[in-house]
Amino acid sequence: MITGSECINKTDEQIVALTLKNQDYYLCLMKRYEVKLLNYILKISNTSREDAEDVLQEVFVKAYQNLNDFDLNFKFSNWIYSIAHNTTISAFRKKKVRPQTVSWEDKDLDNILKSTLDVENASLQKLTYKHILKMINQLPLKYKDVLILKFVEGKDYQEISDILHKPMGTVATLINRAKKSLKQELEKEDIKL
Amino acid sequence: MKNISNEVLKKIKDNNIKPKPRWYFITKNYFIWLIFGISIILGSFAFSMILFIIKQLDWDIYHYIGESFLKTVFISLPYLWLIFLILFIGVAYYNFIHTKRGYRFKFISILLISLIISVTLGTVLYSNGLSENLGNIFFEKIPYYNRLVYTCEKQWMRPERGLLAGTIIEIGLPENSFILRDLDNNRWKIEASKVIWKGKITPATGLKIKLIGKLINDNNFKAMEIRPWQQGQRRFIMEGNR
Repeated sequence: MITGSECINKTDEQIVALTLKNQDYYLCLMKRYEVKLLNYILKISNTSREDAEDVLQEVFVKAYQNLNDFDLNFKFSNWIYSIAHNTTISAFRKKKVRPQTVSWEDKDLDNILKSTLDVENASLQKLTYKHILKMINQLPLKYKDVLILKFVEGKDYQEISDILHKPMGTVATLINRAKKSLKQELEKEDIKL
Repeated sequence: MKNISNEVLKKIKDNNIKPKPRWYFITKNYFIWLIFGISIILGSFAFSMILFIIKQLDWDIYHYIGESFLKTVFISLPYLWLIFLILFIGVAYYNFIHTKRGYRFKFISILLISLIISVTLGTVLYSNGLSENLGNIFFEKIPYYNRLVYTCEKQWMRPERGLLAGTIIEIGLPENSFILRDLDNNRWKIEASKVIWKGKITPATGLKIKLIGKLINDNNFKAMEIRPWQQGQRRFIMEGNR
């Protein structure tokens, strides 16, 4: 069994190469991305934790099966996020899930709000956060997805392009439209920071 | 939270799940590029056929028959090959975006690149006479092909609109008249006393021509302008010889 310390100084790409020789190394990669990907799946799908965990398992199995398709010219994190994105979309397209209230950290919402409303600080009451979260969840998936990747996951345009498999120009347009759409909703509800 | 990572590793081991081999992905990638290449080449063929059909038509005769230029264009466009061109460009686009880095390019860029390659290659194929040969083969071998494209034959075999085409079979009649066998094998007496001969030709038997004029009755036609067959109308030359 591979222990975490054996992977600590290794890059994702190095661990991919090692995994192809010894599958136990795959545990290191999964541990690195387990929490991040679960949160990402929860946020874009707005589903229950159990369903999201099932999707994450599917993501890890798919990624393992397609490990030889991973191109070292790309970042592993973008590659696995891309698999997570596609698997989540197809999983929840197949079975219509009932929306759940997935909790977000306040700082994640702050990041989106700061960018959308172009302000330095965003500090709101708990009730308002809940209300804004509802608004974000009501945005079309393509908008919600780019907002999450940009302002919650902290990905840059090139990374989002590699995850969503869209040109960078399209990513920039989607982010602008998403911000505009959210801003309109906030103004309609008269929410100011 | 469940220990997902350990569960997945156990599942991989228990079910003996293995990564798909590298050659599978390499083959898949090459296949996508191959289909892209084939689509571009077929698109080039389609474009060369469009060029061939457009070039063999006469675009200056619309005012002789009282039609607008737009109507002439609308009637004459080679829709069949345009549909094929769009289809092949579409298949090329679909395959390109499924290559490793294809998604990084904008829709319009991929479309333009595919179109430019097809147009360039198609022009080369047309210049080498390939579209002419293919066109002739299609006319002869493919049933109903001639119904699907607007040809020079359709354009010129409209005596009621003052357009006629065929081969001179007899000359030396009074008042510069001559006998013509049209593309449908009908005999016509052509009155050519005040005719303008274009393209430095003189009447001779076996000469293939196009006539602009006026229908007098079932077998008489008064010619006002006569043109020679041009390059790229070989099919009619062959038919005219029959």
